[in-house]
Amino acid sequence: MIERELIARMQAGDFEAFSELIDAHKDKIYALVHRLVGNKENAEDIIQETFLKAIDNIGQFRGESSFGTWIYAIALNLSRAYFAKQKQADLLPIDSYLPTSDESNDGHSQLFDWQDPHRMLETKELRETINRALDSLPYKYREAFLLRYYNELSVKEIAELSGQSEASAKSRILRARLALRDYLSKAFEGGYGK
Amino acid sequence: MANKCADYIKDLNDYLDGTLDLGLCHEIEEHVGHCQNCRIMINTMKQTVILCRNGIEEKLPDTLESKLKNVLRARWEEHFKKK
Repeated sequence: MIERELIARMQAGDFEAFSELIDAHKDKIYALVHRLVGNKENAEDIIQETFLKAIDNIGQFRGESSFGTWIYAIALNLSRAYFAKQKQADLLPIDSYLPTSDESNDGHSQLFDWQDPHRMLETKELRETINRALDSLPYKYREAFLLRYYNELSVKEIAELSGQSEASAKSRILRARLALRDYLSKAFEGGYGK
Repeated sequence: MANKCADYIKDLNDYLDGTLDLGLCHEIEEHVGHCQNCRIMINTMKQTVILCRNGIEEKLPDTLESKLKNVLRARWEEHFKKK
């Protein structure tokens, strides 16, 4: 059934239509929130609160955005509130992640080429390294990166959800990706040397 | 560090995501053809996304899912009863 029909049924009080709408998003939103807050217990609380808030505010959903975007906005507001009292460091400027040698590679330091991390690290160790890398990002960068590359939202959607301009959302996504690359590179370089 | 690497770094996400202007794509490809560090940078940036994406896959725990259905149904009935 198409989303518009489900929304109409949901707004008329049909719980099954609401269930069907959240079923389409629940796993992806749970995984996002879990990675954002970093632990299962808090993620479960936020997910429950997200759907309860959706019910309480169902009359306010006007269909101007998709149901998915609306649910994401609720989940993100709750996740941000979780971090609101924590001081978040900023990332380095984009230029800091540049390679340090020039085009001719004339003896200056070289970037470390990972080859295939799956061959070098056990799956569990690799997953833990990736989780640590994601946890190392300040919240706003982790959120932008995950929305773009895990939840596959467009830059425009991410900008709307974060109340930023598209240029700012793009910059956050790039800086997050560069910082993660840098973190993983250092982790793998150490691992390969073992 | 070459100036060109600095010129291109801000465009790398768009380049990797396939949303960059074609002319700039050609410029980057030409540069990468003879800049090993930028080649490594691009390959490892690609891998960063793949690794993070694969490392996250998970679904709502079954225990939470069954609990949620009951909690949400109760709130739903309460909400619509009030109306």
